[in-house]
Amino acid sequence: MKERTDPSALAAVRFDSGDRPESLRNLTGATKYLDDLPEPANLLHAAVVPSPSGHGRRMRVDASKARELDPSVLVLLADSIPGENQMGTAVDDEPLLADGEWHYAGQPVALVLASSKRLARAAAALVRVTGEELPVVTDPREAFAKGQLILKPRVQSSGDLAGAFRAEAEGGRARWIVEGRAESDGQEHVYLETQGAAAEPVDGGLRVISGTQAPSGVQKAVARVLGIPMRELEVEAMRLGGAFGGKEDQAAPWAALAALGAWVTGRPVKLVLSRRDDMRMTGKRHPYSTDFRLAIDAEGKFLGLEMDFYQNAGAACDLSPAIIARSLYHAAGAYRIPAVRAAGYMCRTNLPPFTAFRGFGAPQAIWAMEAAVSKAAEVTGIPALELQQRNLLREGDLTHYGMKMEDCRAGRSFELLLSRNPAARMKAEIDDFNAAHGDKKRGSWVIPLAFGVSFTKLMMNQGGALVHVFNDGSVSVSTGAVEMGQGVGRKILVVAARTLGIPENLVRIERTRTATVANTMPTAASTGSDINGAAALAACEEIRKRLLAFAATVLGAPENELSLGNGLVLRGGRDAGLAWKDLVAKAHEARVDLSAHGFYATPGLFYDMAAERGSPFAYHVYGAALVVAELDTVRGSSRVVRADLVHDGGVPIDALVDRGQIEGAFAQGLGWAILEDLVYGKDGRLLSDTLSTYKLPDMKFMDFPLEIELLDDAANPKAVLGSKAVGEPPFQYGIAGYFAVLEALKAARPGKGGFFDLPLTQEKAIGFLDGGN
Amino acid sequence: MLKSLRFRLNGKLVEIEGREEQPVLDWLRDDAGLTGTREGCREGDCGACLALLGRRNLEGTGIEWVPAATCLLALGELDGRTLITVEGLAGEGPTPVMKALHVENASQCGFCSPGVTVALSHFLLAEGPRDEAAAVASVEGNLCRCTGYASIGRAARALSSDFSGLPLDFPTRLAALAARGVFPPALAATMQELPEPASPATAAPGSPPSGGSPSLGGGTDWYVRNTDPAPGLSPRFVGRDPELRFIETRGSGGGATLALGAGVTVADFFASKAVRAVAPGIERFEALVASPHIRARATLAGNIANASPVADLTAMLLALDARLVLSGTSDARELPLAEFFLGYKKTVLDGDAIIETILLPAAPRAFSFEKAARRERLDIAAVNTALSLAVDSGGAMRGVIVSAGGVGPVPLLLGTAAAALEGRKPSAPAFREAMEAARAEVAPISDVRGSAEFRKRVLGRLMAAHALRLFPGAFSAEELLA
Repeated sequence: MKERTDPSALAAVRFDSGDRPESLRNLTGATKYLDDLPEPANLLHAAVVPSPSGHGRRMRVDASKARELDPSVLVLLADSIPGENQMGTAVDDEPLLADGEWHYAGQPVALVLASSKRLARAAAALVRVTGEELPVVTDPREAFAKGQLILKPRVQSSGDLAGAFRAEAEGGRARWIVEGRAESDGQEHVYLETQGAAAEPVDGGLRVISGTQAPSGVQKAVARVLGIPMRELEVEAMRLGGAFGGKEDQAAPWAALAALGAWVTGRPVKLVLSRRDDMRMTGKRHPYSTDFRLAIDAEGKFLGLEMDFYQNAGAACDLSPAIIARSLYHAAGAYRIPAVRAAGYMCRTNLPPFTAFRGFGAPQAIWAMEAAVSKAAEVTGIPALELQQRNLLREGDLTHYGMKMEDCRAGRSFELLLSRNPAARMKAEIDDFNAAHGDKKRGSWVIPLAFGVSFTKLMMNQGGALVHVFNDGSVSVSTGAVEMGQGVGRKILVVAARTLGIPENLVRIERTRTATVANTMPTAASTGSDINGAAALAACEEIRKRLLAFAATVLGAPENELSLGNGLVLRGGRDAGLAWKDLVAKAHEARVDLSAHGFYATPGLFYDMAAERGSPFAYHVYGAALVVAELDTVRGSSRVVRADLVHDGGVPIDALVDRGQIEGAFAQGLGWAILEDLVYGKDGRLLSDTLSTYKLPDMKFMDFPLEIELLDDAANPKAVLGSKAVGEPPFQYGIAGYFAVLEALKAARPGKGGFFDLPLTQEKAIGFLDGGN
Repeated sequence: MLKSLRFRLNGKLVEIEGREEQPVLDWLRDDAGLTGTREGCREGDCGACLALLGRRNLEGTGIEWVPAATCLLALGELDGRTLITVEGLAGEGPTPVMKALHVENASQCGFCSPGVTVALSHFLLAEGPRDEAAAVASVEGNLCRCTGYASIGRAARALSSDFSGLPLDFPTRLAALAARGVFPPALAATMQELPEPASPATAAPGSPPSGGSPSLGGGTDWYVRNTDPAPGLSPRFVGRDPELRFIETRGSGGGATLALGAGVTVADFFASKAVRAVAPGIERFEALVASPHIRARATLAGNIANASPVADLTAMLLALDARLVLSGTSDARELPLAEFFLGYKKTVLDGDAIIETILLPAAPRAFSFEKAARRERLDIAAVNTALSLAVDSGGAMRGVIVSAGGVGPVPLLLGTAAAALEGRKPSAPAFREAMEAARAEVAPISDVRGSAEFRKRVLGRLMAAHALRLFPGAFSAEELLA
C-alpha cells in the first residue's frame, strides 16, 4: 500500500475516511471534554499551590491572605487527607501533598477551593510557602555520584563481552572500538487539553471524571488517599484532548485532589490545571545521559556493545523502572550484536518525577545506539548506511535479553526504503547540492526500527470488555481503552462490527468506566487496540456463538454451516433468510443472553527477572526512515526538507487512523530531536514553562514532502485481525532528524567530529560551526 | 468593569451588561455556554480558542473579518462588532472546511479542531492569495500535537484547489461561500454589517483609564501577562478607536513622512502600499512576526509600548528611523523611538499618555530584517535585527541604521556597527567589521531563549545575512564568515 502527500492520491480507497462520527463531532465543536461539562450550581473550583523551590524542609504554609480574599476560599493541606498521603505505585515515595519537606519545584503543597476558577487561582497565588532551602540536584550523574538511586541498577548482558572488545592487536577481532556519551533532554507532552478531574459525592461514595489514560489506576489511587474501598468510587474517562503517556500515572494526583475536595466538602469539585501549572507540576520524558561503547570488526560487523543509561528519574519513582526496562530492551536498536551489556541507573534528582511519554525509554536508547553508529561511521570510514545494513536484526536472531526474533521485517523495511531511495542517488544528490551552495548544506540519515510491543511490566498485559447487544440489534461495547485521539475506539468498533457481521453504524463505543469493566490497565504502551480489541473480540465471539447456535435451531440448519455477515445470518456464505435484527429480537424472546464479558491476556510472554532473560514482547514493529535536513550555514538554523518512511503496520484495522499515528508520532520525534528544548534553572525551576517559551512542532516546521509506505503482505498473527500496534514505534523515526542535521553540520565543517547532545538546537549548531576542531 | 455592550454572536444580536476586561474566551465558555472554543494555553500560542471577529476595516469603507485568539480578546472589544465561533460555523451541520479535515482524519483528539476550522474558514473568507502556500500558512497559528500537521496540510491544500475560483470582492465571495455552505446562509446574511455599539468607539481625549487600568492596542501582550484580570478594570481600547487607525503620508518631497496611527495593526502595516514603498520587500518578513491571528489584532504602538527588548516591530521601526508622537494630559511630545525606552520594560510613557502616532521618513530605503528563534513561525526572538540604508550614486552606503533586540535590556540602535558601513561600498571586509562592531557593542544576558554567548554569535551571523540579502552576489557567505 502506498500513500503520498500528492493531493491527487488522496482518494486512495484504503485511506477511506469511513464512518467516523466522532471526528465530525470534534470538528463542529460538539465534542465535550472534561472542562466543557455543565457545572452544577454548588461546584467548587480548585487550584493547586506548588512548592516554592527545588528542595527544602521545615515547610510552613501561610494561607491567611488567601482566606481573606473571599469567604468561599478553603485551603486543604496534607493533614486533611483521611487515608494515606501517598501516590507512589512501585515505590511509596510520592506524597499527594508535600508535608514538611519538598523535593522539586512545582510539587503540590495545598489544594485551594473557591466558588470560581478565577478566585481559586487568585487565592492559590496568595498562599505563602516558606521553609529551609536544601541543595538541589538536577543532573543524573551528580545524583548517581551521591548515591541517589531509585531501586537497584538493572543490568542485562549476553555473549562474551571481553572477547568482543578484544582488539586485533591482542588477538581479538575488534578492529575499532568507538565510545562516547549521548545526552538526550526531556520532552514536554503538550497534550492540548491540560490535566484535570472532577469529583462529586454520589450515594455515599464518589463519582470521579478524570482526564486519565488509567481509570482503574485513578480508582485505586483515590481509594488509598481517601481510605475507602475501590467499590465506593466510580471513575470515568471521557475523550482526552491528547495524553501521549502524560496522563498514564500522572493524571492520578489531580483526580485525588478533586476527590479530596469533594470528600471534605461534600460538594462537587473541579480541578483543571492552567497550562503553566501543568508544565511546571507534571513530569515529562526522562532526560538520559548515556555512555556507549561499540566494538566493530574489520568487515564493519558489530561485535559488542556496552550501554550505561543514567536516567534522570526526577524526585520520585513513578514509572521509571518500567521505562528503564524498555531502554535496556532497546539498547541495541534494530541491530544484531552478539555481546551486549546494558545497564540502567534510575537517578533521583530534584525535578518533577519524569514519566511515560510515547516511546517510554526506547527513544533514549535507540538515540544512543544511533549515536554509536554515527561515531562508528566517522571512525571506521565505512558509510553509516553500510554499517546499518550489515548489522540489521535477522530472522531467528536472539536479542541480548534472550528473545528470538520471529517474522523479523527489519531487513525488508530497510531494503524497501533503499529501493525507493538508492544510496548512490541519495549521496550524489546531497553532494551536488552541497557543492553548489556555500550558504546551505544538506545532510541525510536513515534509521532502522525494531520496537517491542507489550507492557514491559508483564502483569499489565491484560484487558477486559463488556458487550451488550440490545434487542433492536444495536450494540454497545465497553473496554478499558481510553480514547485520546489515537483512534482506539474506532479500531474496537471495527473489530466488533466485523466479528458480529454487522454494519459499523450499529455499534457504539462507550466511555471508559471502572464499574463497567474493572481492573483495567492504562491505555498505553501502544497496546490499547491489541489488548482491548482482543477482549472485545472475545466478547463478540461469545455472543456470536450463542446467536449462531440459536439461529441453527430457528433455521433448522447445522450450526457449522452458519455465519454472520452483511447484517444477515449466512448459510454457506449466502443469505439464510434471517436478518441480524430479527435474529436478535427472536433470541431475546427465546431468553438467549445478549451480553458477554471478554477477557484477554497476551499469550506467550515470560521473563525471568533474575536471569534477565525471556520473551517480554508479543512481537516487534519494524520500519525504516530517511530524513533529509538543510542547514543554513549563515544563520545556523536548520529544517527538514524531506522524509520517507517505510513502516510495518501489519494489516491496519483502519489505515487512515494508522497513517495519522505515524505522521503524528514522527512529528513528535522530530520535535524531540531538533526543536523542543526544556530549560531548567540551576534551582530546579522550569524556565520553559509556557508555550511561548517551549516550542513544539507547528505547521511550518512540518511542511515538507513526507512519504509513507506501509509494508505489504504484513499480516501479524500475534494481534487482533492481523494488525500491529502503531502508537509509539514511529516516534523513533524522528531521531533520524538529529543525525540528518548533524551530517549537514559536518558537511559545513569537513573533518570535524560530530556531537551527541539532543535536541540539536540552533545554539548548539552555531557552537559547532564556530568552535575549534 | 460592567459595561453595556452590543454585538453579534453567531449572527444573533447580543445586548448585555458585561465585564469589559473579561477575556472573551471565558465569557463564551462560562456565560454563553459555547464550549467549542477551548483554552489550550491562554497566551495566544495554540489557536484552540480562535473565533472570527468582524470589525470595521482600516479604510473605514466596510467590514473586515479576522481570526482572533479569544483568550487575548477583551469582552469590551466586542462592542459594535460581530463574533463567529465554531458553533456558528456549524449551525447547519458540518461545513466543507470541516468535511475536508474529516476526510483526511485531520482531527484526532479533536481539542484543537475548532480552532483549525476557524482558521481555514477565515482563509476562504479573507482577501489575498488563495494558493496552497497561503492555505497552509493560514494555520500557522494553530498547534496540534496529534496529527503532525500532514493531514491538516492535505485538507488545507484540498480546500485551496476546491475553492480556487472564488470571486475577489467581498460581498460576492461571501455569497459564493454561503451558497457552498462554508458559512450557513442565515449567518452569512449577518456578516456584511456591524451592529451599532452601545458606547462610542472613540475614547474621549483626556479620559484616562481608571486606576490601574491599561491602555490597550489589541491587548495581545497585556492579556498574556494578565490572564485573569480583576473585575473592575476598565481598559482604554485604543485599537478600537477608528480615529487612531490610519496610515497616511504627510508632507511631500524629501521631508515627506508616513504617519501610522496607534490603532494600526501589524497586518495593516505589512499590507500597506505606503509602507512597502518606504521599505521595499518588507512584506516578506511578515510571516516571521507572531502568527496570522496575532498580527490581525496586535498593534505597532502596543508592540513598542510593551517595551520588550525583542519586539520584532520595534526592531524594524528603529531601523526605519521612526519617531513617536505621544499624547495625553500628562505628556504630549514627539521623540525618536530609541529615546522611548528607559530600561528593561521601562518607557517614558506616563499617566494617561499613549503613543498616538508613529512617524517614518517616507524616502525609500533598502531594508532587511533577521530573527533568531527556536521556531521559524510564532516564536519570540532570542535575537532580532534590522538594517536599512540607501546607496548613493557612487555605490556607497549612506544613512546606515542597524537595530538589534535581545542583546540588551531595551531594543538597541547599533551605532558603531552602522558607522563601520557608513560611506563605504558594500564589501565583505566592511560587513565583517560591522559584524565585529555589533558583537562588541552589545552585552546580552543568558535566559530561557539562549545564552549570552549564543546571542553575540548569532547577532554577527544575522548581520551577515543582512549583507547577503541586500547585496546578492557581491560576496559569499564564506567570505563574510571567514
